[in-house]
Amino acid sequence: MPWPPKVFWVGLLIIYGTAVLGWLLEATVKIQKIPTAQIWYTSIWATFLAPVIVSWMYFYFRERAEAKKAAEKKEVS
Amino acid sequence: MAESVDPVVIAIVAIYLIAVVVIGYYSRVRLKSAIDYYVAGRRVGSVVNGLALESTYFSPASMLGLPAYIFLIGYPFWWGMMAIVAGMPIATLLTAAALRKYAPVSFADYYADRFGDERLRWWIGIIVIVGSILYIALSLVGMALFMVAILKMPYLIALIITTIITMFYVVYGGMIATSWNAAMQAVVMTLAAIIAAVAIVWQLGGFEGVYYAALKSYPKIWNTPADAPDVPHLLSSTWIAVIGWFFVWHYGFATMPYTVVRFFTTMDIKTARRSIFWCTLAAGAFYVALQLIGITSKYMIEKYHPIAVAAGGNMTATQVLATIQKTYGIGTVTDYSMIAAVEALGNPVVLGILCAGGLAVAMSTAAGWAVVVNTIIARDWMVKLLKSKKAEERPIFYGRLVAFIFLLIGFIVAIQPPALVLDLSGWAFIVVICSLGPGLVLGLWWKRATRAAMWITAIVMFIVSMVAWLRAHLVLGHHARFFLNDILFGNPNALITPHQVWTIPVGFILFIIISLLTKPPEEERVQKYCVELTKEV
Repeated sequence: MPWPPKVFWVGLLIIYGTAVLGWLLEATVKIQKIPTAQIWYTSIWATFLAPVIVSWMYFYFRERAEAKKAAEKKEVS
Repeated sequence: MAESVDPVVIAIVAIYLIAVVVIGYYSRVRLKSAIDYYVAGRRVGSVVNGLALESTYFSPASMLGLPAYIFLIGYPFWWGMMAIVAGMPIATLLTAAALRKYAPVSFADYYADRFGDERLRWWIGIIVIVGSILYIALSLVGMALFMVAILKMPYLIALIITTIITMFYVVYGGMIATSWNAAMQAVVMTLAAIIAAVAIVWQLGGFEGVYYAALKSYPKIWNTPADAPDVPHLLSSTWIAVIGWFFVWHYGFATMPYTVVRFFTTMDIKTARRSIFWCTLAAGAFYVALQLIGITSKYMIEKYHPIAVAAGGNMTATQVLATIQKTYGIGTVTDYSMIAAVEALGNPVVLGILCAGGLAVAMSTAAGWAVVVNTIIARDWMVKLLKSKKAEERPIFYGRLVAFIFLLIGFIVAIQPPALVLDLSGWAFIVVICSLGPGLVLGLWWKRATRAAMWITAIVMFIVSMVAWLRAHLVLGHHARFFLNDILFGNPNALITPHQVWTIPVGFILFIIISLLTKPPEEERVQKYCVELTKEV
């Protein structure tokens, strides 16, 4: 069965972990009522930084794995 | 709304339109073959493709619709906006890299090849046509609203002008013109939203000012379902509703035809992956700006909009918007709330840049969908299925003809839009994702995915999602209500399931069950799609 690389699951954990943790903190301690808090964790982190970091991870680690594989192939040949 | 036309606003928009014409002209010079027209000759780099992805994916539903929805249902909707951007990187390894490796021309190529049935092109075409009409219509509505803000003209005349501009733009450019222009448009629209948001935050005295301004105009805005019964709005009153909003647009980037075809235009798999990084970077900044504008729009309109000021500051934002609606004959005026908030700044430079950005976001989306639909009809239906010699010999002519016809249909729908632009977008998303998404994702990642499952899921889920959305919208009064609320619970508000988003998991479950019950696909097909394409994505 084909299976996405490990880095894919790490990215999913960051994205869905952020959403679930945010909702839990909002439902329990009402973190969004702290002035400006929601701008930082929903906008700056969850909408901007987290997706950018995950999309960077997805190309950087894939390219690094490919480069490593290519180097190994070269050594063998 | 200021009654006079502002020359500064017109000048900024004129500069943008001249740039579109110049880029369109030079793109046309490079347009030599059908492959250039459909997939830009597969020579688009990561930055250009990433920015083009951003401006194509984001439509007036983003620029006008999302701030309008925060205006309506409050802070809990922010998570829905976060989910849209967060869905972008997921596409990288789920569909983009594999589809670029495969390198088809049309969205339907994948389905016809993977499931070994050319006739699938018919049904996929019908589903894509529904999405195209909704999206082209909402793009034209968005452009017309910005034209109203620029030229202070009646909505219908603005709509006619914007349709003609878009026709020239799409019909003469194809994917090359839309790629380069869309990249430029991404820069314009992202900067426009950031500049408008910074101006508003500056006027309100920073993030703290934003927080209290929002609270003042909308006391329940920061409440969530945990604060029941003091919820900001019925549509954000339960956690099921909040989670539903989160997922409506979340998987669109990985599965919607107008983004998927942009994975085909890149030079190689590395460029496909990197282009999503650039797209996410620009999209994240754009959305943070929209969130800030949306959360403050009520306050800005009530305190600073010229109509509210002229009335002595005693009008609500809704009353101001109703006045604008009456003056210019706008169909769905809540969509105008974002423009009205920026008008309230009283700064023609910021308004001019925002209007240029608004035209940019609408033109690029209309163009993206027009290219998708003309590829489906002129190439897939006419050449591949009907074996038309004429269409084969003159592909670009027929592609342009189809784009022209669909822009005309979009124009007719846009005269009196059936819903807000975000509603039209959400509808198109759910219909397309629940019927075509399972076949796209599972066709790549699950060896057992079968042709019968593809057919049954595409037909059943298309009908179910259309009926569910329309029944909720027409019978229960809003698409966010579960469509059987009155029959099952005797209460139209019993369950809030935005845009009938439950159809996506149902579509996947149906696809899996039918696949397990039917004959497995041929080994060579499995090898090609589920092993070679997904290996080292």
